[in-house]
Order: sequence, then C-alpha cells, then structure tokens
Amino acid sequence: MQPESPRGGSPSLPSRLAGPAVSLALLAIILAIASFFAGDYLQRILIIIGINTILVVSLNLSNGFTGVFSLGHVGFMAIGAYTAAVLTLPVSLKVVNLPSLPHWLQQLALPFLPATLIAGLLAMLVAFLVGLSLMRLKGAYISVATLGFLVIVQVILVNWDQVTRGARTFAGVPPHSTLWNVWIWAVVAVYIVWRLGASAFGRDMRAARDNEVAALSLGISVLRSRLLAFCLSAFLTGVAGSLWAHFITSFSPKSFYFTQAFNIITMLVIGGLGSVSGSVIGVFFITVLSELLRNAERGFDLGVFRLPPIYGASQILMAVLFVLVIVFRPAGLLGGREIDVRAILRRLGAPRRGKGAA
Amino acid sequence: MKTRLAIVLVAAVALLAAGCGGKGGGNAIKIGMLYNMTGAQASLDAPSANGAKLAAKELNAAGGVLGKKIELVAFDGKTDAATIGNSATQLAQTDKVVAMFGFSDSDMTMAAAPIAAKAGVVFVTSGATSPKLPDQVPEYLYLACFGDNVQAAAAAEYSVNALQAKSVYLLIDKGMEYTLLLGKYFKERFVELGGKVVLEDNYQTGDKDFSAQLTKLKGLKAKPDLLFISSGPDDVGTIVKQVRDSGLTQPIMGGDGYDTPLLVEVAGAGAENVYFTTHSLIDADLGTDAVKKFITAYQAEYKNAPENAFAGLGYDTVKLLADAIKRAGSADPKAIRTALQATKGLAGVTGEISYQEGSRIPQKGVTVILVKDGKFTLAQEVVPQKVPTP
Amino acid sequence: MSALELLLQQLINAVSIGSLYALMAIGLAMVFGILRLINFAHGDLIMVGSYVALLLQVLGLPFPVAAVAGVAASTLAGLAMERVAYRPLRGAHEIAMLLTSFSVTIFLENLAIILFRPTSRPFPAPAVLRSVITMGQLRVAGLDLIAIAVTAVLLAALTLFVRRTNIGIAMRAASQDLLAARLMGINVNRVIATAFAIGSFLAGVVGLLWSARVGKVDPLMGFNPVLKAFVASVIGGLGSLPGAVLGAYVLGGLEILLQGLLPSGLTPYRDALVFAILIALLLLRPNGILGSTEKEKI
Repeated sequence: MQPESPRGGSPSLPSRLAGPAVSLALLAIILAIASFFAGDYLQRILIIIGINTILVVSLNLSNGFTGVFSLGHVGFMAIGAYTAAVLTLPVSLKVVNLPSLPHWLQQLALPFLPATLIAGLLAMLVAFLVGLSLMRLKGAYISVATLGFLVIVQVILVNWDQVTRGARTFAGVPPHSTLWNVWIWAVVAVYIVWRLGASAFGRDMRAARDNEVAALSLGISVLRSRLLAFCLSAFLTGVAGSLWAHFITSFSPKSFYFTQAFNIITMLVIGGLGSVSGSVIGVFFITVLSELLRNAERGFDLGVFRLPPIYGASQILMAVLFVLVIVFRPAGLLGGREIDVRAILRRLGAPRRGKGAA
Repeated sequence: MKTRLAIVLVAAVALLAAGCGGKGGGNAIKIGMLYNMTGAQASLDAPSANGAKLAAKELNAAGGVLGKKIELVAFDGKTDAATIGNSATQLAQTDKVVAMFGFSDSDMTMAAAPIAAKAGVVFVTSGATSPKLPDQVPEYLYLACFGDNVQAAAAAEYSVNALQAKSVYLLIDKGMEYTLLLGKYFKERFVELGGKVVLEDNYQTGDKDFSAQLTKLKGLKAKPDLLFISSGPDDVGTIVKQVRDSGLTQPIMGGDGYDTPLLVEVAGAGAENVYFTTHSLIDADLGTDAVKKFITAYQAEYKNAPENAFAGLGYDTVKLLADAIKRAGSADPKAIRTALQATKGLAGVTGEISYQEGSRIPQKGVTVILVKDGKFTLAQEVVPQKVPTP
Repeated sequence: MSALELLLQQLINAVSIGSLYALMAIGLAMVFGILRLINFAHGDLIMVGSYVALLLQVLGLPFPVAAVAGVAASTLAGLAMERVAYRPLRGAHEIAMLLTSFSVTIFLENLAIILFRPTSRPFPAPAVLRSVITMGQLRVAGLDLIAIAVTAVLLAALTLFVRRTNIGIAMRAASQDLLAARLMGINVNRVIATAFAIGSFLAGVVGLLWSARVGKVDPLMGFNPVLKAFVASVIGGLGSLPGAVLGAYVLGGLEILLQGLLPSGLTPYRDALVFAILIALLLLRPNGILGSTEKEKI
C-alpha cells in the first residue's frame, strides 16, 4: 500500500502520516464550512454521502476483499436501524407506538452512541451465526443464500409487530444524526477497512478471493478470513443503519429491501471493488450526480427553450452510466487501486518533475 | 485523473448552484407539491398530481388568489424516503413555499411532513388515509381525505345493514400499513355489530398466486356471507379474478384501494358484485355536479378520464389550500395554518371538508360503490354511526 | 371438500405454479450453463414480450399474431442483450457479469417505466386461456394445463436438442469447458447466441402465460419471476436443465404447501421458511439437488 520513497527503504512515520493527515484536514475544513454556511439541503447531502460511505466501504470489505458477493447486506442495515431506533425512542412514544414491548425494553431509552454500538454488535452477532453456515458455500450460491437472508430479515421485520410495528411506519425516531457524528463514524469505518486491507490479514483475504485452492495450500484459513470480514462489515453496516434511522426519522421494512441493496451495490461497483478510496469517490460521485440529475429532470428554463420535466430520466441515466462503467471500466473508476495522496502532494510540490509516475 | 477531478469539482459547484439558487418570489404564491411520479406509488400519485395541476390552472385562470398566481413547485419523490426528504428540504429552504401537499401513502408523508413542520409550513396529504398520521406530526400535518377507521366503519355498517352479512372471511395484505389498518378497523366494527369472522388469512403485497389461500377458504365447513379483502390497487384485480375463477360467488368488499380502473380491466366479469368504499364516485352520468364538471375539465386537459378518485383528491387539496390562503388574507404560513384549521363546509369533488376543533382529519362522508355491468355505480353514501378509535 | 380433495387441489395448484417457474428456470439455466452468468435481466425479457403482445392487441391485432410477435420480441431482445452487454465481458470475473446483468435490468426497467407509464395495464387474453375446468370439487385453470403441457413438450424438445443436434452437443461441450470447446473448433459465439436465443424464447412464452394468469403487466413484472427462477435453479443445481425443472417444482410445491398447511398466524413467514429451507439444502448439497457431489479436483 505504501509506495517506497525515491531514496529507497520504507518511508518514515511523518511522511506516512502525510497522506491521511492531509485528507482528514481537508475533510474537517469542508465539514466546518458546511456546518456554518451551508443550508439544510446541502447538509443533508453531506450526511447522505457520509452514511453511504460507511455502507459502501463496509460492503467492499466483504464483497471486494474476500470475493463473497453478499446481496443481502442491507439486512444488517435493517437490523442496525431497528435495534437502535427501538432503543433510542423516547419512553412516551414507545408506550403509544409499541405497546406490546416487553416491560424492561419499554422503559428503556438509551442515548445515541450506546444504542448505535449495540445495533452494530447485534448485527455482527447475527452475521456470525449466519456466516458460520453461509461462508462455506461457493460463488453464486453464497449470493443466493445472502439474498435469502435478506428476505428472511424482511419477513421477520414485517411480522414481528410487537417490536417493529410490522409493515407500519416506524416514526418519531429522534434526529440524532448530525454532520459531525456521521462523518466521525465514516472516518472510523474507512480507517478500519483501510488498515485491514493493508495488513497481512488483508493479504490473506485477497489471496483467498483470487484463488481459494492456492490460499488453502498456503495455510490460509479461507473460512476464517471470510467470516471475520463478513462480521466486521456487518458491524459497520449496522452502525450505518442506526445513523440512517436517526437521519430519516421514519421508515418501514421496505426501506431496507432490494432497491436499497441495488443502490449500494451500484455505488460500490462504480467506485471499484477492492479499492477503499475508490469506494469513497464512488459514493461522492454517484450521490452528487444523482442529485444533479434529479434537479435537472424537473425541467429547466434556458431562456431560449424550456425543457419539460421528464420524471424517471435520472434513474435511466444512472443505469446507463452503470452499464458503461461495467463494460468499459469494469474495475471501477479507480481501477481497483488506491489514491496515492503522497504522490499527488509530491507532484503538486514539484510540477516540473518530468514524466513522473501517476 | 485530472479530468476526473475536474468533472467532480464542476459537478459539486453545479450542485451548490442548484441547492442555493431559486427564482425570485415576485408575483406568485408558491406551494410545494410532492408526489411519486415514478416508482411503485405512481399509479395513485400521478393522477393526484394531475388533479392538483388542473385546480391550480383553473384558479389562475380566474385571477389567482389574493391577486397573485398560484405556482405549484413540483418534485418527484421517486417512492424513496431520502429523495423525499431532500425534496422537502429544498422546498422549504430554497423555494420557500408557504404550504406543501402530496402523497397517498403514510410512509411517504412521514418522510416529508416533519421537515415541513420544522419550517413552520403545513403539509396536507391528499391521499394518505391513516388516522394516526396527525398525531405523529403535531399541528402541521393535515389530511384532505377521510381516515381508514372511517371508511372501514362505513364498510362494516353497510355490510351488516344493507348486505345482511352475518359472517365474513378476511384476507389482509400484511405488507402495507394501509391494508393492515383497514382490515383491523373493519374487523373491530363488524364484530361489534354482531358479525362473525369465519377465517382470517393473509398474503404479501405483490403476491400473484392465491390458490393456496382460496383452497383453504373453500375447504371451510362454514361458508361466509361476505369476503372482505384488504388490498392495494395493484393486487386487487388479480385477487378478485382468482377468487371468482375458483368458484366463489359471495359479494366482495374492500377499501379505496379498489378505486382503480385495473379492478374491472383485470378481473373482467369477476368484478361483478364487488363493493368498496371510496372518496367519491367519479362518473360522468352518476356523479354530483361538481364531479361532472371535474371530469369534463380533466378530460379536456389530459385527454383521458380521471383514473380514480385520487385525481379528485389532488384537485380538492389545492382548492382547500387556496381557500385557506384567501381566508387568511395573506401568504404567511402561520396564518394559512390557522385559516386551514378553521375550514368549514368546503365543497369539493370528493365531498365536503370541515375540520373540527383540535382535529386535522376532515369529517367526510364515505361513498360505497358497487361494480355492476362492468361499471362503478353508487351503492350508498354512508356516514358511519360509530368509528373505531385509531 | 374432503381432506383428500383439499390435498389434491393444493397439489394441482403446486404443479401449476411449478410449471411456470420451470419454464422461467430453464431459460436462466441455459445461459448459466455456458457462461456462468446469472442473467437478472431475464425477467425483463419476460416483460418485453408481454408488453409487445399487449400493445399489438391494443392496436387491434388478434391474439395469436400478437403472441408470436411477443415471443419474437423477447428472443430478439435477448440476442441484442448478449451482443451488446455480455459479449464484451466474455471471460471476465463472475462478479462483473452479475453486476452487468443488474445494470441491464435496471436500465430496461426504467426505460419501460418511461415508455409505458409506471402503472399496471390489463392484459387481454383469449377465452381458452381464461377457462376453468371442473372435476367435481376440483378446479384446474385451462391456462395451467397449457403451462404444464408446454413445459413437458419444451423440456423433451430441449433434451433431444442437446443430445442429438450438432449445435446442442456443442452447447453441452461449451458448458463443460468453454476454452476447450473453442480449441476444438466450436464457434463459441454462435453457441452462446443460440443459448441466449432459446432462453429468451422461453422467456417470451413464460411472459404470455404469466401475464394471462395474473391478468396484467407492469414494468417491474419481471423482477419477482426471475428471483423465483434463480432460486429454483439453485435448488435443482445451477446449470443443469433437469435440475432447473426439479427445483422449480420443489419451489412451487414448498410455497403452496406452506401457504396452505401452515396456520394463518404463520403463513406470513412462508417466504422466510422457503429461503431457510433453501439455505439448509445448500448446506447439505452445496451444488443443488442434482448438482455434482464430487469435490473440486485440482
């Protein structure tokens, strides 16, 4: 992951921190500007980007790094969302909306952070139990099985009305998600996945993904690496679910079904499987683009001519884009590589360096 | 790499422009219109939007309200909560609308209404019938339609009084809030009136095959007098068709989800002897004068008859808001809210709207429709004597 | 209705729906066998054929003509799909192909929403497809009998095709080892195109039967069928034609039995139970019921 410095030998600590430090500083500045000057609309967009970043980066951990193409990850998001929402809902609302809740739960109203952590842990526990059986399967069969998992979660959510209100809207969730706490989680998630990917364990995961048999012969436990990635990614996805629930403040089981799953997978693919910075770029790109298209499709007045609203055009264009990326750049926008911030800094600092490495 | 970075930056700037820009107010009263023009809800919302636009056009042709034109700022919700939230935020922050309306479903409404409330602006839902909605967004969320408890009670009373039904079979879609509540309220009122439930069964939204449920029903010893099927508009045609194909001839009863051309188109002759409650009978021959005028205008504007009563609901909602603005004497959101709460006896295509003190659900009569000879006919106008509490 | 009649009727229901699933699953299995591609857009081929048949009838053409045109449209759409979206990706990673098929399906669905309006539209079908045959207390839809018959005939025809014809044998070779087949001089492009053509043809036929059964069409109608077909193929063993058929009947049977025999309190859990059984099955037989049990040799 870390390129060698031109003088040979591994880079010193300060220069290793340069890349992340610059990125973090940039992020903090953007967030500060946004929280003071940007209106509600832009803040919403930034929060959505933040939550989507967590979702995509954690999906990348499972799909990209280990090759376990999970189609049902949204199930963990649902588990996280409902768990955290039930925990943080004020007692007065619980009595009205969830009258049949067990007494101890009904009297409980937790603050945001503990509820989010519990949500993530519960999702991780479910992932562990489910993964024990699923991670042995191969290729397309894992995908079907995870799809089955999504359906099972959906059915349970729709029918366990005492806790989830079934198909009815779960409303009144306190709006705890702010620009800052969402992005702090996003940074944490990116950091975890990045470090994991760069570690020896990450190497094992990718080895198992690329050639299962060879990896086994090298003593790498394929099952263990897949399971760990699956559980960790479920934890992060569950946290994202909690953040989402406290942003949207009202939802129902169908908010966590196929449409949402496709959205996340779209962003993952366009950014590039296996590349963490690719995921972040992919999320940003897609969210911004789809908002732009959404506003554009309402029709606009160019003075000379008027374009009438064509609702649905934005979805089509996104689908076309998706096809184009898959066909022409199947490894995603970043081609599976990571952004090398240090190289960018070097280039900026010494522009007349000749044909440097990209 | 550089080109990509450039594209991303340009996009971000453009987005900023879209978010921050906004045409100057000037001579129009801006009202936000939120409907799902695409996605699963479009069959109900698109006609509502059409009705709304027609009303705005008529109002403007007659001189507008308070001397200004009504401008409907429209957004497509795409049946997606995040999109709806973003759109509502744009309406409140960028377009600075004085009121918002839309949607035929509680989930969608709940995605937008809190944002409207936070901005001090009313949200009137034209078609979401859940009576629990106003409690979830205090002071600012209004319904322009009756609540499900009202239409279910009307259905129960009609079944017992007019259809002489003593026993019923219930088939409820468990995947939608609307159908769950409707079924629950119907059962409550029907049992209260002395009726008996022989079997309560269920299905999932979008199921295409009901052979198993129907076989179970036919296997019962006690045959029900009435079949109450709580279904949304997309599934009702398929269900009714299969019910009739399986040989069951009892009358079928449902809610306003049946108010769609699909019922007769898909079920064909099977739709005979089907009853349902809805907001009004949209029929050029049998409707009220207001309905006839509405149909003519709609036909002229959109080249086809109103698809269902939801078109009328959208129309009435705009007229309702315009009336409130007129009585408020200004386009101030707070004044509009006070005037809206004071609405009494406003006649519309879908009935008369009045809000009692402290209630944001109108007391509206229920129209019971019977399908006869492939057409919707008026069975009875019912005002329920007793309504289950939400 | 006696208990026996009840059981028989449910059995008839299961076989009826199983036949439709079978036709869908075979189409999917044909393509997977050779390309290892799960074509999610298969469902949209069902949708395309149905809409073409619908629109031609609306224009006044009689049902038989519209039906043939619908099936032809599906076949052509499938071939176009192969040529445009999948051929450039030949040899790519399994995941990339799965994602491509997702994107094709999203594209087609949204296109249909814009062209045909998002609401459902009724599907006119001739009387024979809407008839109901009674045998005492039991009822069978004429349409279901036709579906069963069509499934049987097509399965027999396909089996003959892959056993006896040159191109059929070439297809079997390609599904065993694509590279080796190519090295043996088989025109792989033609073989794949044929597989797609047959699969899409089947999708067109299913589209007609399914639309007549449900009574309406809508742009998203293909999604659920393709999911069922996918599950059916996995149950029976991906890539195997008899497996697809077996899996389809097992799936149909499970659905009907669970819906019919479970108490009303538990029937909402039907889909969850079906999938739980699927997962359990995969753990016991990771390659499906008819899939090979041999371990992968290196």
